Amino acid sequence: MGLTIRDLVNEDASLISRRCWSDKDVYALEKRGIFGKSWLFLGHESQIRAPGDFVQAFMCETPIILSRGQDGDIYANINSCSHRGLPVCRADHGNTKRFVCPYHNWSYSVEGNLMTIPQESEVVRKPDKTQLGLKRVPRVESWRGMIFGSFDEAIISLDDYLGDMRFYLDAFFDRFPAGIEFMGAPHRWVINANWKLPVENQLGDVNHGACLHSAIIPAEAQQLIEKLGHSVVTTPGHGATFRLMPENTPVDDVAWGMEAVGAIFGGDEVQNYLREIQAQARERVGDLRARMKGLTYGIYPNLSFLWSNTSFKVSHPRGPGKVEYWSWAVVPADAPDNIKKILRTNYSSFFGPAGILEQEDSEVWAQQFLGSNIDFADDRPYYYGLGLGEEKPHPDMPGLVSVTANEFYARHFFTRWKNDLQAVEGSL
Amino acid sequence: MSTLSVEVSPEQQRQLERFYFHEARLLDNRQYLQWLTLLSEDVRYIIPSRVNVQVNNRARGQEDMISIEHELEGEDSMGCPHREEGYMLLMLRAERAYKINSWSENPPARTRRIVGNIELMAQGSDTLSVLSNFHLYYARPGSDNILYSGQRRDTLLSQTDGFCIVRREVVLDYAAIELPTLGLFF
Ligand code: FES
Ligand SMILES: [Fe+2]
Repeated sequence: MGLTIRDLVNEDASLISRRCWSDKDVYALEKRGIFGKSWLFLGHESQIRAPGDFVQAFMCETPIILSRGQDGDIYANINSCSHRGLPVCRADHGNTKRFVCPYHNWSYSVEGNLMTIPQESEVVRKPDKTQLGLKRVPRVESWRGMIFGSFDEAIISLDDYLGDMRFYLDAFFDRFPAGIEFMGAPHRWVINANWKLPVENQLGDVNHGACLHSAIIPAEAQQLIEKLGHSVVTTPGHGATFRLMPENTPVDDVAWGMEAVGAIFGGDEVQNYLREIQAQARERVGDLRARMKGLTYGIYPNLSFLWSNTSFKVSHPRGPGKVEYWSWAVVPADAPDNIKKILRTNYSSFFGPAGILEQEDSEVWAQQFLGSNIDFADDRPYYYGLGLGEEKPHPDMPGLVSVTANEFYARHFFTRWKNDLQAVEGSL
Repeated sequence: MSTLSVEVSPEQQRQLERFYFHEARLLDNRQYLQWLTLLSEDVRYIIPSRVNVQVNNRARGQEDMISIEHELEGEDSMGCPHREEGYMLLMLRAERAYKINSWSENPPARTRRIVGNIELMAQGSDTLSVLSNFHLYYARPGSDNILYSGQRRDTLLSQTDGFCIVRREVVLDYAAIELPTLGLFF
């Protein structure tokens, strides 16, 4: 290709080329350099509790079946028949003993092993079925119930990969005595945007709220976000934004979920439930993290998390200009069913395909792709320099910390992105 | 149980049509504040999400095997519907349309909907269960032109001056959500 990766991201990542967002050769390198080499989010253990349970997932554009084997272990296999390649699983989720391929009815166990070849009895030399199972994702690990897979056999452990991000994730996960669970099938929304923009947005772009969402987010709420807001990068590509509430903040102003619609419309029962969680927070996550009121998080390369509008999201690329954006409502696992049903609206009212905020985000993400796909402007890369060099270590929190207007989260993301692509560049 | 609708007089059918055609015209004319007046204050507005389900082997040979009800994660499910809204959220959406900083509606979408197959399915003392289908054409600068298709399952309250909507469940006919937003009024 005519481009080299070095030309797309400058030394301090304060200038980012339009081609990063729109070029198909760059996208091919992203597949190998990033999606072939990273830990990618597959699903949550609450979705596959019983032997035989399965859900669909994707690793970039590759379809995956994530399942609980009859032995109780977790399996991830590529959803493609070893005979002619058809997907052998068509349901979003379910429970089964066998996946049967429609074309010639080869059947696979829920662990991905090839069990039967109907035509086998008619031929003399029998195929070796042990070599013909579904292709297994070579590395699968989970942390706090979150299951990840990697195509890179030699990748570092998931624990090390998440690194200090676990400190911030635990500010959420550890708040709940029984952990969290995912509700239902993900909403799968196709948006004409590049996969990196939803990621960048949730990784640290808090300040667009006051602008893009000013019709919905009250100015005072946004000012408070900016005043108390912190942006953190633990490892390039991983980041968290949150408000750190002052000591002695009233419980209703700090408790998780209290500011979202579930609590607002759900009345006393929901509010008391949320106060109860917050009452234990100090003991469970310590004083500092009990005062954290999260905004958005990102895990490299394409997993995002929303704190109040509680949701996990994955940005699955479908080419440079298309993304299949998956999102799940997440609730405390031990909440009564009626409370879970109310809390899921924290997500669905404001985010996801019907979300009153995300309909604004998705529109600008699509517009950004249009702008990135134009000609005659390659000498005008995007400006990513806000707050350059202003991030600093913090005495009490891991990572580099700054104000939310500092775009260092995006510069770090693109520095890692550049390294990952350069590592495979020239080997197309 | 009969799958037929309730037998209605031409006048009664005409009343329902008049209500739904008026509603469609208000929405296509972007008169959302007037549309709000067609809603009961305790309205429930639901859009179930639609999933690809595993077929139940034991139901084979029966119509129930592929009933669309199995595909819906609605209000009572432990999945996640797209929308579960009351009057306040609907009002928030309606009022948002008239703010100059509602960027994603600037310029606003051009919509045209055809509502048909209006069937009265049950009638109580003052409530009616009504089904209707719609096709909604949607065009917005910067976006693809889109056709939304779906069914509305309404509970209407009859009043002296017509009807008001107490409950609406919208069953959307999508496979993947290749639609710019599910945040419209259907
Ligand atoms: S393609 Fe799967 S059995 Fe032939
Ligand atoms: Fe946003």
